[in-house]
Amino acid sequence: MALFRVHIPILDEVKSKGLKPALRDKVDDIFTRVTAGLNMRDVRGVLRDDLPGRPNPRLKPHAEGFWLHMKPTYYHNLVDGLYPTFRLGWLSVYAFAFEIITGVYLMIYYTPSPLVAYENMLDILSNVPFGRLMRDMHKLGAEVMVIVVALHMLRTFITGSYKFPRQFTWATGVILLGVTLILSFSGYLLPWDQLSLWAVTIGASMAEAAPPEVVGTNLNLLVRGAPEFGAGGLLRFYLLHIIALPLAGILALGVHYYKVILHGHSLPPGAENAGEDTARKVPMNVRTYFMPTILTRELWYVSVFTFLLVAYSAFVFHAPLEPHADPLVTPLHITSPWYFLWLQGMLKLGDKVLWGVILPTVIIGLLVSLPYLEVGPSRRYGDRRLGLSAGLLSVIVLAALSYMGTPHYAVPTSPDQEAVASLLPQTQPGPLRLAPWGQLVLGSYQAAEWQQAPTPAMRELLHTFDDEINQVQSSERQNVEGIMVVEDWQTDLKKVTLRVVWTDMTTNQPNEFSQTAFLHRSSDYGQGE
Amino acid sequence: MSEAVAPTPAEQGTSLPLSRREFLYYLWGISIAVSLAGSGGATVWFALPRFRRGEFGGVFTIPVDQIPPPDTPPKEFPEGRFWLVNIGQKTLDDSRQPLDYPEGPGVKALYKVCVHLGCLYKWVDTNDRFECPCHGSKYLKSGSRIDGPARRNLDVFIIEAISAAGEVLSRTEPAMNSFEGTAVEPPAGTESFRIDTGRRVQGAPNSKPGGGV
Repeated sequence: MALFRVHIPILDEVKSKGLKPALRDKVDDIFTRVTAGLNMRDVRGVLRDDLPGRPNPRLKPHAEGFWLHMKPTYYHNLVDGLYPTFRLGWLSVYAFAFEIITGVYLMIYYTPSPLVAYENMLDILSNVPFGRLMRDMHKLGAEVMVIVVALHMLRTFITGSYKFPRQFTWATGVILLGVTLILSFSGYLLPWDQLSLWAVTIGASMAEAAPPEVVGTNLNLLVRGAPEFGAGGLLRFYLLHIIALPLAGILALGVHYYKVILHGHSLPPGAENAGEDTARKVPMNVRTYFMPTILTRELWYVSVFTFLLVAYSAFVFHAPLEPHADPLVTPLHITSPWYFLWLQGMLKLGDKVLWGVILPTVIIGLLVSLPYLEVGPSRRYGDRRLGLSAGLLSVIVLAALSYMGTPHYAVPTSPDQEAVASLLPQTQPGPLRLAPWGQLVLGSYQAAEWQQAPTPAMRELLHTFDDEINQVQSSERQNVEGIMVVEDWQTDLKKVTLRVVWTDMTTNQPNEFSQTAFLHRSSDYGQGE
Repeated sequence: MSEAVAPTPAEQGTSLPLSRREFLYYLWGISIAVSLAGSGGATVWFALPRFRRGEFGGVFTIPVDQIPPPDTPPKEFPEGRFWLVNIGQKTLDDSRQPLDYPEGPGVKALYKVCVHLGCLYKWVDTNDRFECPCHGSKYLKSGSRIDGPARRNLDVFIIEAISAAGEVLSRTEPAMNSFEGTAVEPPAGTESFRIDTGRRVQGAPNSKPGGGV
């Protein structure tokens, strides 16, 4: 009976070369395959920053490997330092990757249904190990990403890097900006708390305002999945958030980054005018090679930024969770996320079609067409005073509109309600709920007598109350008093009533406004230890 | 210095001394690997589901009048995932009962899940036995396996016989030879039975055809 002749290549090598050399060559072979072209000696050479041999093996991972195929093999010395890019583009991609990873973690415990979404959030925040950390990291990463993307756009504008031949790169960048903002906005809805529901309702209503009417109505239905936000809307926003927008983002990022590499990173404005080709003509003596310099630097940045984001989320930054979404009650001082405050400010000015649809569309159109409007060949700051001034003006207008978007502008209600809301706001826990429970002593207290309050926490609360009460006083409202009553309601449950009483001078009748809060000993508003 | 024609890479790799830069890179690489390993552990901890006590997993209290009389067909409690069986003289005299598992009279709470691959077995009155529809494992009312690919007797939950005052009069004990759960004969004064579905006792090994060790 013929037995199979088994051929084991490694044994042949051992026989011809000896055991140790054969193993060494095998390890070498593995290194070369994994790194797509660098054997053990070459890898060590990279780490030692030795001069590479000829032909340069460090180009092979870029030419033959997948992971580095878009990364340039060398950079121009002038874009090697922090200036002019401040590495903001790189940081944007890092933030995106950070969000994808933390987002997938959160997906393990989240179901996009109004029946359980809020419960899932409570579960993540209190019952899952590292759940609160993961959520805080995801929220922090989102805000960091919006800031970094905006700064990256601002930098690209200031250095005029969007000029010929990089106009379409800029256009894909505007797409990426939109993807980032809508990603942040769609994620905002998922906790299904009051802030989520009403902020997104405003956004969807803006879509509804799009003229002509048939477009607006159907856009609204597509976005909400129903006439009002509910299960359909939540699921649609969830799908937008986890697959549609990330996919669009990755595709746009691919085009964007490819074009960046194709044309080369734009050099500082003094060194390169519009239209000069920097990618193909980098002299040998001004090159900074990817391996090892840029590679190790980027690895270092990953380590540093991961550490910073995790540490900041663990010790400082805590994403809040408001009360459960209530479609029947819109809370006082409801506000959009800070990156949309400018939009909310615009909406307070007048007709929603003009300020909510037409103007934002015009702004986006201006942004996209900017490279075709500012066409001077020079990128030097001195030659672009008009454009840079226009940019500065836009930033100032944005800041002013953002202030107008805050609840301080045009939205405050009567002073008595504002006074109570200063201690008991409707969109945050507020000072009263965050005060140490044990320091709320039973009794009835006048705001004016805050200095005699029994505990420091109560002194602070009554002082704030008193300051606000003084705003209520006016020609029509006299004899204003603020009263805080703390009662024992149930075991471990205190009832706190805030009352504002005054005499209405027009009718000479006493008037009052009051609000009640029930505070439990173990309530936790996610404010940290 | 660049080498034009180098000796074999393997020889080269070992001849170079370790530079300070290289050493620091290796240290850094190890620290990254360690922190990644830590994150992996934290990920597992994050992703492991946590079980809740309450509903199935908690304690069920059954008043004595809801227990089936001895030698009658078993009574099912779906929320608790168990059958309550009352073993009387007829069941003890059943000729099919394997001799390796001596039975006593009393109440047992059999876990509804077949010990083979997890299906829920049924009580078949005509054949006076439990039968699993998935792969044909068959068990007597006492919980002993008499046929099929299951490799042990049915699992039981720990039962306590509770008096009106709330004291425990009797409970499931481990059998002498096999440590599976024995039946609980309700002593006088038993008002209710407490079945703890969080504590399950495995059935004794049983793999012989016809039942037995």
